[in-house]
Amino acid sequence: MSSTRFRLAGATLALTLAVVAGCSTGEGVDVDGADGAAAGGVLNAAIGGEPDQLDPHKTSAYYSFQVLENVYDTLVEPDANLEMKPALATEWSTSDDQLTWTFTLRQGLKFSDGSPLTAEDVVYSYTRIIDEKLNNAYRFATVKSVTAPDPTTVVVTLSAPTPNLLANLGGFKGVAIVQKANVESGEITTKPIGSGPFALGSYTSGDNISLVRNDNYWGEQPKLDGVRFTFVSDPTVALQNLRGGEVQWTDNLPPQQVPALRDGDDPTVQSVPSSDYWYLALNQARKPYDDVNVRRAVAFALDREAITKAAKFGLATVNQTAIPQNSAFYYEYAPYRHDPNQARQLLDQAGVSGLTMDLMVTSEYPETVTAAQVIASQLEAIGVTVKIRTLDFAQWLDEQSSGKFDAFMLGWLGNIDPDEFYYAQHHSGGTFNFHKYANPAVDRLLDQARTETDQGARKQQYEQVAKQIVDDASYIYLYNPDVAQGWSRQVSGYEVRTDRAIRFRDVALAR
Amino acid sequence: MSEETEATRSGEETGGGGAGRRSDGQLRRALSALRHDPLALTGTAVLALLVVVGVAGPWLAPSGINEVNIDRMLEAPSWSHPFGTDELGRDVLSRVMVAARVSLQVGLVSVGIALVVGVTFGLFAGYYRGWLDNVLMRCMDVLFAFPVLLLAVAIVAVLGPGLLTAMIAIGVVYTPIFARVTRAGVLSVREQVFVRAAVSIGASDLRIIVRHVLPNIAAPLIVQTSLSLAFAILSEAALSFLGLGVQPPEPAWGRMLYDGRGFVTEAWWLGVFPGAAIFLTVLAFNLVGDALRDVLDPRQLTVSESRRSSG
Amino acid sequence: MARFVLRRLLQSGVVLLGVTLVVFLLLQLVPGDPVRVALGTRFDPQTYEALRARAGLDQPLVVQYFDYLRRALTGDLGVSFRSGRPVTEIVLERLPATLSLAVTAVLFAMLVAFPLGILSAIRSGSLIDHAARVFSQFGVSVPDFWMGIMGILLFAGVLGWLPPSGYVALTEDPGKWASHVALPAATVGLVTASILTRFIRSSMLEVLSEDYVRTAEAKGLRTRVVVLRHVLRNALIPVVTVVAVQLASLLGGVIVIEVLFAWPGIGRLTYDAVQARDYPVLQGAVLLVAALFLLVNLLVDILYARLDPRITVK
Repeated sequence: MSSTRFRLAGATLALTLAVVAGCSTGEGVDVDGADGAAAGGVLNAAIGGEPDQLDPHKTSAYYSFQVLENVYDTLVEPDANLEMKPALATEWSTSDDQLTWTFTLRQGLKFSDGSPLTAEDVVYSYTRIIDEKLNNAYRFATVKSVTAPDPTTVVVTLSAPTPNLLANLGGFKGVAIVQKANVESGEITTKPIGSGPFALGSYTSGDNISLVRNDNYWGEQPKLDGVRFTFVSDPTVALQNLRGGEVQWTDNLPPQQVPALRDGDDPTVQSVPSSDYWYLALNQARKPYDDVNVRRAVAFALDREAITKAAKFGLATVNQTAIPQNSAFYYEYAPYRHDPNQARQLLDQAGVSGLTMDLMVTSEYPETVTAAQVIASQLEAIGVTVKIRTLDFAQWLDEQSSGKFDAFMLGWLGNIDPDEFYYAQHHSGGTFNFHKYANPAVDRLLDQARTETDQGARKQQYEQVAKQIVDDASYIYLYNPDVAQGWSRQVSGYEVRTDRAIRFRDVALAR
Repeated sequence: MSEETEATRSGEETGGGGAGRRSDGQLRRALSALRHDPLALTGTAVLALLVVVGVAGPWLAPSGINEVNIDRMLEAPSWSHPFGTDELGRDVLSRVMVAARVSLQVGLVSVGIALVVGVTFGLFAGYYRGWLDNVLMRCMDVLFAFPVLLLAVAIVAVLGPGLLTAMIAIGVVYTPIFARVTRAGVLSVREQVFVRAAVSIGASDLRIIVRHVLPNIAAPLIVQTSLSLAFAILSEAALSFLGLGVQPPEPAWGRMLYDGRGFVTEAWWLGVFPGAAIFLTVLAFNLVGDALRDVLDPRQLTVSESRRSSG
Repeated sequence: MARFVLRRLLQSGVVLLGVTLVVFLLLQLVPGDPVRVALGTRFDPQTYEALRARAGLDQPLVVQYFDYLRRALTGDLGVSFRSGRPVTEIVLERLPATLSLAVTAVLFAMLVAFPLGILSAIRSGSLIDHAARVFSQFGVSVPDFWMGIMGILLFAGVLGWLPPSGYVALTEDPGKWASHVALPAATVGLVTASILTRFIRSSMLEVLSEDYVRTAEAKGLRTRVVVLRHVLRNALIPVVTVVAVQLASLLGGVIVIEVLFAWPGIGRLTYDAVQARDYPVLQGAVLLVAALFLLVNLLVDILYARLDPRITVK
């Protein structure tokens, strides 16, 4: 129902006081191997908030996935370049008509409690998502059936060719393989059992979740004995804890300090562009926003640099399309420059004056509230009065789905395939097309690209889509935020990922 | 507060409860006492200033409250921005000034609600006694059983955050205090000669309440109102600091602290000035309230600090 | 005495019943469908139906209330809309943190307020009296969260003596617990101390002005003896009430401070529940706090009646 894959609560922004604290007992570093690295130990990680629950199929909170990334597995998983690589499945093949995919699982897979993980568990997990219409059911839109002819073979039958099936099945842990008994006992919400590198150790509500190494893990054994996630909502506190040695890793850094931190070497702070994007949408079912000139006027009136600086302290890359620069599908196109005169002319052409625009934002994502105030001041310069409406997210979603808005700002997080970037949002029948954009040419291209198996042709089709969407100002794209994370000198082997997945399996902690 | 102790004062004044029109003289005395009490005078002066700023804030403020200037974000106090700029480059002084209106508005409206509802309840309960008294006061007991801020937060949570709900929530929370103070006053007035006399000549209940009872319980109510304004403003600030009060871009002191919290280590002015504004406002109401109480309500019917919520 | 206790018990029972009604009605006041609102992005039909049924929302209102009451009596406060865990469990596991903060804060407040209040009453009009009054006026007027922010800036930021926020359980590491509790407890405690100081001072003054004290002084007993023997005992009886009421309100009322200092107690739980629209948890926390509040008040009244026999006469 949301326009976000997970409800990333503005992890890097000086957000709310949402949740807990940075305490932790500090002495995470358990030094029995005196030779430095590979000494085991427990890594203390500070995350910005507390998971709402730990059922990967039901939660949509980023805080949950920060933990679950290390607990669960998917059939395939994205590598650092977001290309799909083997995970539980070692290989897969596709039938000639592209409608049957056959996956082969590893031998001897086990859940962390020692029980075997078989193809039946995969069938159970996918069926659960589809039948119970859970958050990620849309990822299975073209899936007709999932079967397990033998314990290590999974067959997925499709109703239409789906070139991005791997991204759908492995893009993130929301489609993880869960254990039936764990689901049925109801313990999955607090004591999930997965097959990943770590298993849940203990959970102190309001304070921390501790993971321990999973000895039944199929891959290389993690070097760490465990990971303890403490909930620290205040980024200044998280940074202080990192500097003071109480935690060794955090992604909750004060954004305004990141540029300076990146230049230093202790703690190590790195940032990479994420595949998230934030945008402004104008309701084309309402006048005068049905007029492309009005929408383009707004696009010209915005100073994206200023918006980005205010919302993210420069920790983002301005972009007029959706897909970020580091993606293979990036399409360089930036027709709008900050030009209030041009904007005023366009409004004149449209015969619009004295416009008052209702802009809906949500306190769930404070950066929308901040950005809205900047947007309001910029639109004021072209004679548009913006009334900002700050709602809580549930209410916001209701207003969005019933079309009661002139404009709203929000982000899409964690998309990988271009289909995820465009189809649901801009196809006239798209489930997230709440702003009622309709362009038959775009519809046709989106339908075509969805099943196009030739990668070159597919990329070209999406470039056409991107250009048209930008020209029509269906979404007015603003920026791709960076993912910034920091860790202490003791930590080695960690890598910041553009999809915000946090993986500790290859990390070692030195004294 | 003057040099006299509260205790000696109450000794002097508990006797004077009989005459029919006590409040006129009392008010006059209160005013003259205020004139001679430097603290109360200071409090009054601060309040006067506050009212001026609250009413004329938008015109007095050196710049617009929503004048975003990203290039000048988080600037330290200077001649052009005496209180510095915030994370959007807006002038903090202007926002602090304009936010005075919100605080006063919330204070007045919510205490107004509490006053009207509470006094009505208290009057009925104290005047008619019996089952009505029981029912009304047990209801008040129920509301009294919740810590102030907790109840306010719960109400706002249910109704949704915003200025109006904050005012309603705070109003509800402070209603029982007024009901209790009123009832206690009514009980003591009710048995006095002039009220009995009025009853005996067949005056209507309404007439007795309006002409005889109310004027005689005005004093503690005035004191209670002044003190409650202080707590109401404090409560609004706390709600806004939790993000549950006034929503942006409207400025409110508590909200400014909430928004500025992530930056206070590098921009102390975002923490200091809005907080100081809350403190001074509350202090002023308290000083005036205390002074009034010393004169008007020697028996200390009014409830003050013990109901101040922590946190 | 027994009759008094019985009457107070009955009264508290009635009020508690009222409290459950208010808490129950909270959910009914939510505009729209509370379960739908609470689930938000996590909406799925099965969870939705399950939670609705579990919350009894498909029943008529009166049935719902009595059902709520019946289950509350057996300690069942429903399940969290957010995590699906039992509310009672969630609320109770936050109690130790809140308890340790409240008790520490009150102890701190007493440590400050007793000497200050007593001295300022004995030396009425002196410098220390003035200081005490300035202090208490400051404490009653200052927004505690603001003082907390300033405290964090100073003690955690500039001086670096204390951690800015966070929690370590007392049972886990007393030393770390103490360093973490210091700032929040001092912040809350200062406000409480200023309230207490006032009460102690005026209570002392009242007793000091009473005849028997004057007589004692006239008989030539030295002031100190008078104060210790007579005044303190009589003056401090009413103070007990105030201390207890403060403690009771701290047990549930320190939302802002718990949020500010990331203290995982009931206040923070309430705040988190509000943020997540987790109404059953909100209801449970509010109910528990109000019940605690009533209980403490009841105990105080009984204790007070024992200390001061005059009470029972009324």
